[in-house]
Amino acid sequence: MKSVHLPRNMEDLWLIMEQETNARVYCGGTDLLVQMRSCEVDPPVLICLERIADIQGIREEPDSLWIGAGTTHTNLLSHPLSRRCLPVLAKALGTLGSPLIRNMGTIGGNICSASPAADTLPPLYVLDAEVELRSRDTIRVMPLCEFITGPGETRLERGEILTGIRVKNGEGYNLHHFEKIGQRRALACAIASLAAMLHVSSSGVVKAARLAWGSVGPMVVTSTKVEGAIIGENLSRKTLEKAADLAQRAVSPIDDVRASADYRRIVSGNLLLRLLDARPQI
Amino acid sequence: MKHGEDVPDLKSVVPEVGLPFPRVDAAAKVTGVEKFAVDYYGDDLLWAGVKRAGIPHGRIRLVDTTAAAEIPGVLKVLTGSDVPGTNRQGIVHKDQPVLCDRKVRHCGDAVALVLAEDQATLKKALSLIHVDMEPIPGVFGIDDALMPGAPLVHEEHENGNILLKATIQAGEGNASLEGYDIILEETFDVPVQAHAFLETENGVAWQEPDGKVVLVVSTQAPFRDKWEISHALGLPMEKIRVIGPYLGGAFGGKDGATVQCLLALAALHAGGRRVKMWWDREESFLAGYKRHAARLHYHLGANADGTLQSLHCRLYYDTGAYAHLGGEVMALGMEHAGGPYRIPHTRIEGWCLYTNNPVAGAMRGFGVVQVSFAFERMMDLLAEKVGMDPLVLRMKNALRKGDKNCAGVTLTQSTGIVECLEQIGRHPLWLGRERWKGESGIFKKRGVGLAAVFNAMGYGRGLPDSALAKIEVTPEGRILLYSGVSDMGQGNATAFSQIAGQILGQESGNIDLVQPDTERTLPSGSAAASRTTYTYGNALIRACEELRRRIVGRAALMLLVDTLDDLELLPGRVRHPASGREILIATLAATMTEPERICISQFLMPVVKDVPDTGKEFKIGFPHLLFSYAAHLACVEVDELTGGVVAKDYLAVTEAGRVINPQSFEQQVQGAIAQGIGYATCEEVQLRNGRILTPDFATYIIPGAQDIPEMTSLAVDVYETSGPYGMKGVGEVGSNGPLPAIANALRDACGIHMTQSPLTAERVLAALQKK
Amino acid sequence: MKNPLDQYSVNGGAKPIDIEFMLNGRKTTINVVPNRRVVDVLREDLGLTGAKEGCGTGECGVCTILVDGSARLGCLMLAIQLADRDITTIEGLSQEGNLHPLQEAFIQYGAVQCGFCSPGMILTASSLLKQKPNPTRTAIREGLSGNLCRCTGYQKIVDAVEAAARKMAGREET
Repeated sequence: MKSVHLPRNMEDLWLIMEQETNARVYCGGTDLLVQMRSCEVDPPVLICLERIADIQGIREEPDSLWIGAGTTHTNLLSHPLSRRCLPVLAKALGTLGSPLIRNMGTIGGNICSASPAADTLPPLYVLDAEVELRSRDTIRVMPLCEFITGPGETRLERGEILTGIRVKNGEGYNLHHFEKIGQRRALACAIASLAAMLHVSSSGVVKAARLAWGSVGPMVVTSTKVEGAIIGENLSRKTLEKAADLAQRAVSPIDDVRASADYRRIVSGNLLLRLLDARPQI
Repeated sequence: MKHGEDVPDLKSVVPEVGLPFPRVDAAAKVTGVEKFAVDYYGDDLLWAGVKRAGIPHGRIRLVDTTAAAEIPGVLKVLTGSDVPGTNRQGIVHKDQPVLCDRKVRHCGDAVALVLAEDQATLKKALSLIHVDMEPIPGVFGIDDALMPGAPLVHEEHENGNILLKATIQAGEGNASLEGYDIILEETFDVPVQAHAFLETENGVAWQEPDGKVVLVVSTQAPFRDKWEISHALGLPMEKIRVIGPYLGGAFGGKDGATVQCLLALAALHAGGRRVKMWWDREESFLAGYKRHAARLHYHLGANADGTLQSLHCRLYYDTGAYAHLGGEVMALGMEHAGGPYRIPHTRIEGWCLYTNNPVAGAMRGFGVVQVSFAFERMMDLLAEKVGMDPLVLRMKNALRKGDKNCAGVTLTQSTGIVECLEQIGRHPLWLGRERWKGESGIFKKRGVGLAAVFNAMGYGRGLPDSALAKIEVTPEGRILLYSGVSDMGQGNATAFSQIAGQILGQESGNIDLVQPDTERTLPSGSAAASRTTYTYGNALIRACEELRRRIVGRAALMLLVDTLDDLELLPGRVRHPASGREILIATLAATMTEPERICISQFLMPVVKDVPDTGKEFKIGFPHLLFSYAAHLACVEVDELTGGVVAKDYLAVTEAGRVINPQSFEQQVQGAIAQGIGYATCEEVQLRNGRILTPDFATYIIPGAQDIPEMTSLAVDVYETSGPYGMKGVGEVGSNGPLPAIANALRDACGIHMTQSPLTAERVLAALQKK
Repeated sequence: MKNPLDQYSVNGGAKPIDIEFMLNGRKTTINVVPNRRVVDVLREDLGLTGAKEGCGTGECGVCTILVDGSARLGCLMLAIQLADRDITTIEGLSQEGNLHPLQEAFIQYGAVQCGFCSPGMILTASSLLKQKPNPTRTAIREGLSGNLCRCTGYQKIVDAVEAAARKMAGREET
């Protein structure tokens, strides 16, 4: 790495990106700088986005919430809107890295890493997140699940940055659940995770369900089959055990230094049973 | 906040042995002022770095350094042929090259040394060194190493890949186990553990105009470092000076040369400039020393009433590519193999094996951590078999003073394991265990587990465990304490200040310390084996008592008093109560010559007198005279969905003689438990064919603040007659308890029998599913 | 308008630039290559060795500094990111020679063993207490979960932070 820039606004950013076509952007640096240290990547030029106000913050829109890609996890977590409207994301953020990592890392960075173990992704999938990509002259919007195409791969094009994420708020669901399995309570790369939003009626019947698993496939795993197995049923052990079986078949985990594929497969199912211990929130 | 209003001004307190006293080094550390070795830089600094083998076993054909040497900013590139002297380092066995000449034996073996103007140039140069090697098949585990015809890690070694084979036998250990009411057999496997100290291996060095090489190193053994460097590089001892500041953690991993010989070599080529070497975390994993992985076969015979009768065990320790302290680690493990129990007949066999794995050396709990898992699981298995409460079974068999331990050594010194177990039995965590277990939530199972453990202190026989204390009253009337043993966080500097303060009656603010420096302090052995406060402390007491007599004696002269008994030594002055006359210490010290103002005294740790006729293969170590003891109780919760294991509460009752400083005592116990919990649940240096799969903190997992429970630490206060103020070493015994206690708790919680650690969620879930 | 690329010399390599920021309450300008890590600038250029390095990957927290009051990792920040920020290192925590209540408490409660993690731990704790002046022990552990300690087992650190919180909020110990 030969140089690094710190643009204060979007105009500066486009100017630099025009002249430095091989530049890599970063915000918190908790991912990119670590990759550079281990020589996985060696960008000649870096651009730090942390000072650009336009890509920070969270605001309410008529039907959705817009989250600036440069918003740190801490700022997102502490914002009243996130706990109220996006509890499943808030729960995931609480498990991400550590307070220090959260003070620096951003939701945009987590998404663009497209790591199979990225903690914000399962919640963003169940929230039907859309990403907003901008270049100097273009704006593109697409579903997050289309933006990420493989482990570490996205549809981001040269000259573009991720500027924001749009999510529907979690209304309509009354059970927001996230669990991450890691080797310790913090600073843990997920071995497997589950994000779930359910609507459970007062009689205990599942009216709606969105589920997403992390770290058990090259990308986040969703399954209408598993969701279908619990919608219309009582949220009971029997229902969830059946669903757990299906979940095991929906995921495609690998062996790595943290866990075996077998373990990941089994717990992908088991994590559903935890929904019995989760309480619907009004 | 105004300083001093609510917190007592510690500098004006005369420290007293037996009372909690804050660390004397804490103020400098919390303000960022204290300089660790890693904080030494300098003008015109050079950086030195090492090219490492990258393959686990190979013959060196050529080390091509031309491209590296040509980079602007590279001063020198050195290889094995540039090493003067023997090019061999090691503590007991000089089997480790400073820079490999003929072959490499593990991935972290050093092949070339680069000196460069800055870190970026250094990194570039290292990447351009090309090592042409002929790979040799390697041995990567115990079975590999023992296979007939196995590749030899050290071809010239007389016993193949067996560094050391030894036997400890007591009673009729040779007799078979047939005929006992209960016979239990099990095999246990424990992994490699990394010290993971936060300050990695590092130092700075330079050569002075007179040729002397000066090193400032993060080291547990500055005096032995001199000897290692001298032997390795052919430098005369008097031409080497090693300064050892406070360490940012060590736990055994900085016992034995890490950077020292490489740095000294670099200094010889630096034209008088200061050279810095700092292993980053990945290099520390690759090249640093580790705890031995081990396989332990246990075969136990007992009576139907639970009385232990006979133990046969075969213990295999993987010492990696070089001996380091492998034989001694295994020896200590063997000496503890039967636990803190009476077992009349034992046959304990051990094989310490060379492999092409990373080098295993000293780590807190030195061979004992491994066998503690085995003997304490066996005890719980026995308790189940005979239908006895596990606490009652342990108390029944526990050693008392005067008993023989499993090595056949009679325990003549303080032996408090029974009292430790009794205290567990009285504690609410034990008494309330059934209710606590019954309160577990959905998908959680709770259990409690015991462990009775012990750990020897000191070097044992075969080499003197000695220290030379040096203490001075300066012309300004201050007390200057020359510590010969490194303080790596265990707090011996504080203990020494307490001892000096107590005997000399001086305020803490008037006592200064010189940390180990081979030119100013005196040889006192390594900071290891739970020995530093005991051995140096004992020497210090004698030196302080002599200094006290000197000071008071000079006061007598100046006050015209003819006996010392009539004089009081108070903060800053000597007083003659009868007449009310006083003289300032500064005044009388100013009249004393340097030899008068300095007192030196030596102490040697006592050794076992009646050495049993066994363990003859051990050159040093076996047997030990002094042991500390502990009983631990782990309250554990298992998650049935994930297999996750969480220690919810932890109780440790420790007997380590008298407690000199309750705060330091607790610090050591809590810290040891935390490392033990890591070892029990999440720490494993994973290896495949000699390569480390967990080479950083993202993959090698040590516990964080949310992973360690609230710990209760109680002390059994027993006066150890040979110890300074009755104390013994407490640094290590705590690390032996958590793995067996948690494994036993898992059995209690959900019936699973774990024989392999760490007890990861994956292993536990697999065991749950098998049930 | 100034071209943001002006900082680079003709052949594309970064040359030192002036970076201005508040450091421990004083306006400071340093002249450094902008892509150097903050932890290196602090330790090597400014002699502030209180911030340590333990892993270089953000996993241990010994490089912690405060940036505009927020605890961040100096090993994952580049010098250019210091511009216009208010930086506090451990050396700047005590005021006019008076120790910060956290520093006092760490000493008094035995939270310092080897001391290598202490600066980072204390800075993170100071930031935690600003956000949560009355934290539970659980909240303290959570707040310090990014600062590893290998010596203490964390308990006395939690004791110290709890005590400092009481003191800072004006509640005396019983």
